Amino acid sequence: MNTAVASTSSSILSFSSLSSSPSSSSLSPLVRLSFSSSPRHSLSSSLSISPSFIALSSKTPKRAASSLSFTIKAEKKNVLVVNANSGGHAVIGFYFAKELLASGHSVTVLTVGEEASDKMKKPPFNRFSEIVSGGGKTVWGDPADIGKVLEGAAFDVVLDNNGKDLDAVRPVIDWSKSIGVKQFLFISSAGIYKQTDEPPHIEGDAVNGDAGHVGVEKYLSETFDNWSSFRPQYMIGSGNNKDCEEWFFDRIVRGRPVLIPGSGMQLSNISHVRDLSSMLTAAVEKPDAAKGNIFNCVSDRAVTLDGMAKLCAKAAGLPVEIVHYDPKALGVDARKAFPFRSMHFYAEPRAAKAILGWSGTSNLPEDLKERYEEYVKIGRDKKEIKFELDDKILAALKVPVTV
Amino acid sequence: MASLMVVQHRQPSSTVLSSTLSDFNGARVTFSVQLRRKVWQPRGALRVSASSAKKILIMGGTRFIGIFLSRLLVKEGHQVTLFTRGKAPIAQQLPGESEADFSDFSSKILHFKGDRQDFDFVKTSLAAEGFDVVYDINGREAVEVEPILDALPNLEQYIYCSSAGVYLKTDYPPHYEVDAVDPKSRHRGKLETESLLASRDVNWTSIRPVYIYGPLNYNPVEEWFFHRLKAGRPIPVPNSGIQITQLGHVKDLATAFIKVLGNPNASKEVFNISGDKYVTFDGLARACAKAGGFPEPEIVHYSPKEFDFGKKKPFPFRDQHFFASIDKAKSLLGWTPEFDLVEGLTDSYNLDFGRGTFRKEADFSTDDIILGKSLVLQS
Repeated sequence: MNTAVASTSSSILSFSSLSSSPSSSSLSPLVRLSFSSSPRHSLSSSLSISPSFIALSSKTPKRAASSLSFTIKAEKKNVLVVNANSGGHAVIGFYFAKELLASGHSVTVLTVGEEASDKMKKPPFNRFSEIVSGGGKTVWGDPADIGKVLEGAAFDVVLDNNGKDLDAVRPVIDWSKSIGVKQFLFISSAGIYKQTDEPPHIEGDAVNGDAGHVGVEKYLSETFDNWSSFRPQYMIGSGNNKDCEEWFFDRIVRGRPVLIPGSGMQLSNISHVRDLSSMLTAAVEKPDAAKGNIFNCVSDRAVTLDGMAKLCAKAAGLPVEIVHYDPKALGVDARKAFPFRSMHFYAEPRAAKAILGWSGTSNLPEDLKERYEEYVKIGRDKKEIKFELDDKILAALKVPVTV
Repeated sequence: MASLMVVQHRQPSSTVLSSTLSDFNGARVTFSVQLRRKVWQPRGALRVSASSAKKILIMGGTRFIGIFLSRLLVKEGHQVTLFTRGKAPIAQQLPGESEADFSDFSSKILHFKGDRQDFDFVKTSLAAEGFDVVYDINGREAVEVEPILDALPNLEQYIYCSSAGVYLKTDYPPHYEVDAVDPKSRHRGKLETESLLASRDVNWTSIRPVYIYGPLNYNPVEEWFFHRLKAGRPIPVPNSGIQITQLGHVKDLATAFIKVLGNPNASKEVFNISGDKYVTFDGLARACAKAGGFPEPEIVHYSPKEFDFGKKKPFPFRDQHFFASIDKAKSLLGWTPEFDLVEGLTDSYNLDFGRGTFRKEADFSTDDIILGKSLVLQS
């Protein structure tokens, strides 16, 4: 049991924590205290005697830099990240690996496929030197053969940030169990939640039974003592493998209308990937708390589709023209024309806040400014892009496009 | 500048310690010290006790929230006085309330007759009476609160019913208590009251509900839908119908008001109080139908810009997303809503509209304007 005690005269905080024996699989919960100098704070959990944690949200993106951190680290863990070689989730493993390394843990990243593949020329893979220079190992291989690829290796924690169904993840789960991995984390998806009249999606809500991720979560719960599942939505951040905010910048910077299906009032979660990484790290450092839980891996604010367009424009310092359209009426597949789901897709990270004492630092207005700076820095604003589907929609709507 | 947390040794381990770090200031410590002097604890463990009987004044209390809150307070053993003009009966038997419960309540509830707009009267009469705690359920403007504060300098707590309507419209919901507020909103009186409370040396708590619903609601929220469902009429919903709002059951709100009483975690804090889940406009129409056992409703969307409704309100909600996170209350107060939406609407229906009672007669005039035009367009 942890206790936090402070004397009123001085302002020293001391902690006592009972650790279980090193060989056991459970560690006493980590108490992390950080003091934010920002006047804006939202405390998502209270300090109670058992278990104890306080979470503060900080306005600044670099939380550690602007806060006094009194952090008691758990034992150093040996973590394996099995990472997809493409797609919107690929960047999660990159941030997670770097954060774990910075916290003093050992990290191996197994990326699917071959090191020589063309896919490795794209971010975040083309920045894997950052993992290596941070003390991490990077290997490549087929997760189906993970026993061979990582023969002789031992890990405390495994994160599968690759598989979308049981076929892909089962070999990793089974092998992890066989080598005595204590904690298994899985990147699932908030896309499995059933549509609801009553947002947000919260942990425990009904999911689509036939979704691949659900099969994995189910198998994990039956196989692993300490497992956790993380359900993300959309993310932004340097090193992202898939376009997110770029879709809006591409149009805004070229003075083209931003075409949004439906009313534009649809809500979505667009988080900075550092929030996802910090949530995963919290689970690694508080395994007892994380055990057996599902976590919506998103920031704690949502944005409307119109709102995202406006924020991107604001970040670019440019005007934006938003045009709404009805995809069905125009015979357009919205999934091809637009990068986000065109209905409400809104989850909240309630479990992470309540159970892990996690709090988010995503701040879209600020984060998008950074993203836009990079967008321009890499010259993407000058890149020649064809907007065939946009033009098709605009023609159907008979909206004049000033070029 | 980092703020520091001070943990009072005096608090026993079962009390959740206050975690409002940046609010730490001398005033709070003073408050705790004052309380310690006031409350004698024979067993040695000093505790801000919410359970010791208090002399409580409720401003208002005969209409909606207060009806439920006053009952909870009386049950907890407090001496409860309602400050009202006396226009409505002080105690009315609730639908579903047993004779025994009502008899007990009505024998204990006290009345203080007066007009709170008469500030001099308020000040002198309350000073003469003295109260430990004030629940201000019907205050709208800061000037109404000043005489109460002046009259009761040793007040343990001023608990104010504010409104989530004070929040500045946001592009990234939900509203958190730390969010910007709108000094131009039509709820600015509530905002000014909160500022007044913060500026005075009083232990205050402010509750910001979103839309409140439940039996005896005088605001036609669920009633608006029930009228149409009962009449078998389509439900006209503005624009897309995916606007997200939030309803909180009055009984859950009353419980929250109890949870903040004497609670150090509530000292000088604001709390959003509403339902655990939000709901779209279309979804709310469907939920009301479920609650009343009606078939799935026909929903008609329309563009409000195309109509002139005069002074009449065609729909009972703001035409925008409007919802607030209740995470703070859940974690700091250990409060959680009991009712989910359909359960709560069913409770309201079974105890009120379903029994043939409602506050406002059905008025379908704006519906007919909308439906008339749609019919014309269709033909």
